[in-house]
Amino acid sequence: MPFKGQTKIAFPQEEERNVMMVFGENMRGKTSLLNALRWGFYGKALGRHLREIPLHDLHNKEAAREGDWTMEVRIEFSAGGHHYTLLRRAQKKPLVVQPSRPEDYSLEVGLQKDSVAVSGHAIESEINRYAPEQVSRFFLFDGELLQEYEELLIEGSEQGKGIKAAIEQVLGVPTLINGRSDLGTILRTAQRQQSKDLAHVAGLELQASKQASIQSKLDALESDVKRLGDKLAQTKGSRAVLDDDLEKVDSVHRAKIRLDATRERQKRIVSEQDSIRQERLLLLRDAWRDVLKPKLEARSRLLAEKKDKLSLRAQEKNRLEAQAENTKKLLDTSKCPTCEQTLESALRGRMGRVLGELEVQLSVMAVDQKEMSDITAELRTVNDLLSKSVAGRISEIESVTRKLEIELTRVENEAEALESEIRGYDTAEIARKRVLRDGLLREEGQLARDIEIVTKSIDSEKRELAIIARTFQDTPSARVSRSTAMVKVTSSLERVFSESIERLRDELRKHVEARASEAFKSLTTQKSYSGLEINKNYGLKILDERGSHVTVRSAGAEQIVALSLIDGLARTGRAAGPVVMDTPFGRLDLQHRDNILRYLPTTTSQLILLVHGGEIRRPRDLEPVASRIGASYEIREVNARHSRIERMES
Amino acid sequence: MSGIAEPTMIGLSERGHAILKRLKEDQHFLEMADAYRFGIALALAHGVTPDEPSAPRTTIFSVVTVDPDREIASAIRSLLDVGNLPVYKWAERLAEWGVTELSYRAESGELDLASILEEASGTKEAPDS
Repeated sequence: MPFKGQTKIAFPQEEERNVMMVFGENMRGKTSLLNALRWGFYGKALGRHLREIPLHDLHNKEAAREGDWTMEVRIEFSAGGHHYTLLRRAQKKPLVVQPSRPEDYSLEVGLQKDSVAVSGHAIESEINRYAPEQVSRFFLFDGELLQEYEELLIEGSEQGKGIKAAIEQVLGVPTLINGRSDLGTILRTAQRQQSKDLAHVAGLELQASKQASIQSKLDALESDVKRLGDKLAQTKGSRAVLDDDLEKVDSVHRAKIRLDATRERQKRIVSEQDSIRQERLLLLRDAWRDVLKPKLEARSRLLAEKKDKLSLRAQEKNRLEAQAENTKKLLDTSKCPTCEQTLESALRGRMGRVLGELEVQLSVMAVDQKEMSDITAELRTVNDLLSKSVAGRISEIESVTRKLEIELTRVENEAEALESEIRGYDTAEIARKRVLRDGLLREEGQLARDIEIVTKSIDSEKRELAIIARTFQDTPSARVSRSTAMVKVTSSLERVFSESIERLRDELRKHVEARASEAFKSLTTQKSYSGLEINKNYGLKILDERGSHVTVRSAGAEQIVALSLIDGLARTGRAAGPVVMDTPFGRLDLQHRDNILRYLPTTTSQLILLVHGGEIRRPRDLEPVASRIGASYEIREVNARHSRIERMES
Repeated sequence: MSGIAEPTMIGLSERGHAILKRLKEDQHFLEMADAYRFGIALALAHGVTPDEPSAPRTTIFSVVTVDPDREIASAIRSLLDVGNLPVYKWAERLAEWGVTELSYRAESGELDLASILEEASGTKEAPDS
């Protein structure tokens, strides 16, 4: 509890201004305020999953350090035309130095009714007359309850089955169930007596013996069911403790999973870096050619040019040599090779000059074959060197290396942050608890199945007993026995109770359905919805204007349905009274929130809303209810262990 | 091929040899011969015409180890006027310069191959050494 010293809150008293707002950010103490009321009325404070918070954990740590070990809640209220003052006080026992368990406190409860003290044993029943503890979760409720009730919208959910039992508990069905159970016990005793009485009646020995045998079997089966039920409750309790523990360290568990994955990634990156480094080193063996590439390319171009020049020169020389050869042939034969005519002397003279010129040209046109062959060889070598490039792959590797380095830095930073997140936590212990929790969950399932099987066997044995009982009733010698008459009466009564249970359930369901539908129609923003339908398991369905089921629902709609059911249950289980709601708006949109703010003050005598800044932005969001607000408080942080509740001026 | 006698063993100065060892130890190259070849190419790419390395000298490899297919020799002959000096003597001189240059480049801890290749192609200027 973050509250220390004396804190006084005055709830609004005017009928038309019956809303009280308590603002407080998370961790400031809104749920603690709700728990203070719950503890005041019922001596219990509830934590997650409705688990009771041990008394020694309720104490304000700062006050304890200062030596103040007394907790007290005083509530003044009016009900049924009477004025009550309720006081509950817990005080450290004188010989205890540091309380570490609830027994270390002495408890005191006092109730005054119109200034007259109510005697100790009557206090609880007096409180339950107006604020029954079994219904208290509906008028002292928090957001967690809302989420739990949303499960009812999922057909056949496990959570839904549990809630059904809880709902019937608050609606009074157990009274009849207990009656039926008591009658069952009486019936069994009567049947046992009947077996004994009829064991000596001629002709009925066999039936009486069979009855006795079935009764023994039934006793054994019922003892099994009880044992299994106890075991199931114990398993559920252990699992809830583990769930709570695990929930507290859930972020650590998730951080550990992320850390493991990050470390794996880190290993993979390092391994990838190693392999790529090896490849780079192997490529470096041949990379020297790439360093020379620009120079070799220039050299290659130069050699190719030289080679081309030499080739052209050789071709020209060949052409001139052929021309000179032809001219020489003409001069030697003095005849035209085409027309066979003799060459005139003037023409021969001209051709002699041409030949002379050709011979002069050829004499200066030398072609170095060795140079040609050297150039060709070198060109081949250079081109060969150029063909073996690894630069492309090296460039790819360099790029991948840079990317891997960046990623490794990022991953290392992430791992470091996660390490600091889980530092100080025993992650092995968390892992162990998770395994234990999963084991208990499996065990719960198995126990539930076993209970179902044994329950079926019990039903079957009971049917057998009923057949035997009818046989006895039809037998004149058995009919006269007192035990047979007793069996007959208790059987009939048991049947009456069974039928009554079904009838009461149906009536209560109809009542809750009507109230919840009424609330739903006021709260929903979809005006075409005509109401809600509740099935035997308290599963809820939205009905449209034609009475058909609406199959697709938003998260907001589910919250409204759950809220409507809670309102319906609260108004079925007791007369309209004050309602305290802790963080009720959750995922609701503005219109739904406005509807709640308008509707709830009309169905409650006082409405206390404990809200945080994320739910209600002041003053804008309070407009729908502004005129009904009779008091506003704010929970302010003094330090991490101490909050103060301050009244706000309107 | 000229009639000049080529050495069968090649090496570096003792200082160059120490650098070569460190280039291998620091895992810049898988083998010393790889760094030696790369040094020769780096010197050729930068158009260096180096002098005889300073004494004392040490032989490190057989020519076959460094240049099994005589490709280094061909490259040197293509890109350098070897004159009357045996081509592998040029290889030693070039390697001495290149290996020293590599040690400067590797001082930061990493050998930036991309930069070396860019410099060789003339798209990037060499750092002042």
